[in-house]
Amino acid sequence: MSSSGATHKSGWFSDLYQKRGLSGPAAVILFLGFLLVPLLPGKFPIIVGTEVLIVGLFALSFNLIYGYMGQISFGHGAFFGLGAYATALLFRYFQMTAGGIGYFGFFLSLILALPLAALGSWVVGFFCVRLTGIYFAMLSLGFGELLFYLVFSWYSFTKGDDGIQGLLPPPFFQDATYYYYFTLAVVVLSTLLLWRITESPFGYTLRMLRDNRNRAAFLGINVRRVMLTNFVIAGTFAGVAGALWGPFQRSVSPHILGWAESGKAVFMTLIGGAYYLAGPMVGSIIYTALNAYVTRFTVFWPLTIGIIILVFVIFIPGGLLSVIDQRIRFRLSAGKVEEIRKGEPVSPPGGGA
Amino acid sequence: MNGKILEVSKLSKRFGGLQAVKDVNFVLHQGDQTAMIGPNGAGKTTFFNLITGFHRADSGRVLFEGTEITGRPSHEIARLGISRAFQISNIFPKLAVLENVRSAVQAQMGRAFDVMGRADRIGVEEAEQIIRLCGLQGKQGVAAGELSQGDKKKLELALALSGKPKLLLLDEPTAGMSLEETRETMALVDRLNQDLKLTILFTEHDMSVVFNHARKVTLLHRGQIIMEGAPGEVRANETAQRVYLGGHPA
Repeated sequence: MSSSGATHKSGWFSDLYQKRGLSGPAAVILFLGFLLVPLLPGKFPIIVGTEVLIVGLFALSFNLIYGYMGQISFGHGAFFGLGAYATALLFRYFQMTAGGIGYFGFFLSLILALPLAALGSWVVGFFCVRLTGIYFAMLSLGFGELLFYLVFSWYSFTKGDDGIQGLLPPPFFQDATYYYYFTLAVVVLSTLLLWRITESPFGYTLRMLRDNRNRAAFLGINVRRVMLTNFVIAGTFAGVAGALWGPFQRSVSPHILGWAESGKAVFMTLIGGAYYLAGPMVGSIIYTALNAYVTRFTVFWPLTIGIIILVFVIFIPGGLLSVIDQRIRFRLSAGKVEEIRKGEPVSPPGGGA
Repeated sequence: MNGKILEVSKLSKRFGGLQAVKDVNFVLHQGDQTAMIGPNGAGKTTFFNLITGFHRADSGRVLFEGTEITGRPSHEIARLGISRAFQISNIFPKLAVLENVRSAVQAQMGRAFDVMGRADRIGVEEAEQIIRLCGLQGKQGVAAGELSQGDKKKLELALALSGKPKLLLLDEPTAGMSLEETRETMALVDRLNQDLKLTILFTEHDMSVVFNHARKVTLLHRGQIIMEGAPGEVRANETAQRVYLGGHPA
């Protein structure tokens, strides 16, 4: 659809912006950028790019709970970890029974991570959705740590602190570039699904809960059921991200279930912008790339990220995308003043999120 | 006009030492337009909260269209056909006006859990109709939190109407509105009652609104109903004069 002449500035960017908000053009730019990453010299950008995508998807799934539903979870890493461990253990199983992992076993162990992450998030969610606010956050943290210790101490099954090593994918996916593109495909597909969900009636039900939970109940919405459904959806997508993690790192270890991993999703979302679908992915690019490059020069990475978070929370609490959005809106409205003078009707740009 | 739509019997609610609602018996018939009046703290809002399942009654029963709804959760009661609009506007501030109403319409359609549909294509016409009805046309794209106080109250009413209610509970529908807005809103309330046959129960402090728009008035005082009747009767009643109307010559 064309922009129907609502602004002077036309072209794909403002067209898409008018129709879909900032996340529309941002997604296109991000996608093109990701496609081109392997053209950068050396293997390092591809490795960093894969991590950006996987952890970015994890953060996107977290934001269903935070930005859309208005609750904060500090235990979301548990579902990332459940997905990763499900895939890793199935990998081990195929490697031991068949002597190595074929393409069938590879895809099967990835796919089976989904129902496991869904089941895990259903059980945890069942309890968490009874509470809201800080109590929801604390309970999710408690369950996250519980699952972490379960994996950590169940040595005979999970190899505890040693983690599970030697998760070598089949030959084609051993090539970092091919695995990168495979990851990109999965993440793009997941993001499209997440976009559909957030723009569905259910997505707006989530926003109602975020804005005013009681009122939503008086409008006939079963608040707990909505929260639980969303918790499971978010946990499942975290599981997708987790499943991609093991074959990428060639190993999994229990720390990925812990609160530090969950905290990453929170950081990324805050840096990028919680009220934008693309926000967490932008956050992941900043966070992961900085992590990768800063740790080359200094051991003070935690200090660095601490300062960055501080700056964001104090000066741009809406995240990077909110700043960009304001600038664009300002420029578009400067154009609109002219139109209003000409007596043309003006339609507001689509909602941000 | 004689089927009982709402029947409340011996309803009581205590908050600590405060008996907010005490042994209230109350009946609304199909098509009624009744006002509930009383001083601040009389228990009007608590009474609404009890009917809509926000508070759990200590004792007593509430029947809606013959079905017992005592103790049932708010969302179920809403789906049965009781909508309410709040005294302090209770909207979705970050969503645009259209998104507010459209989401409420989708909830009424039973689409709240629809994950794959497109929110911007479902129930839009109905939402726009309700927005026009409530006098919010031209403000569809405005974030609800940025509306004026009067417009927020109109949106409040629009949300209540999105539930396709049979019974509409309005808690001070014109509080914070200008005279003009008050007139428009109450005209709309009358239309809903007369044209759409909605049963309406409203609370109000503005006595001219009460006496011009209610066909029956119930006076609540310290959690108890002390007087019920036609507006004229209540106005002439001595007890009513003493506990409430004294300071408000109508």
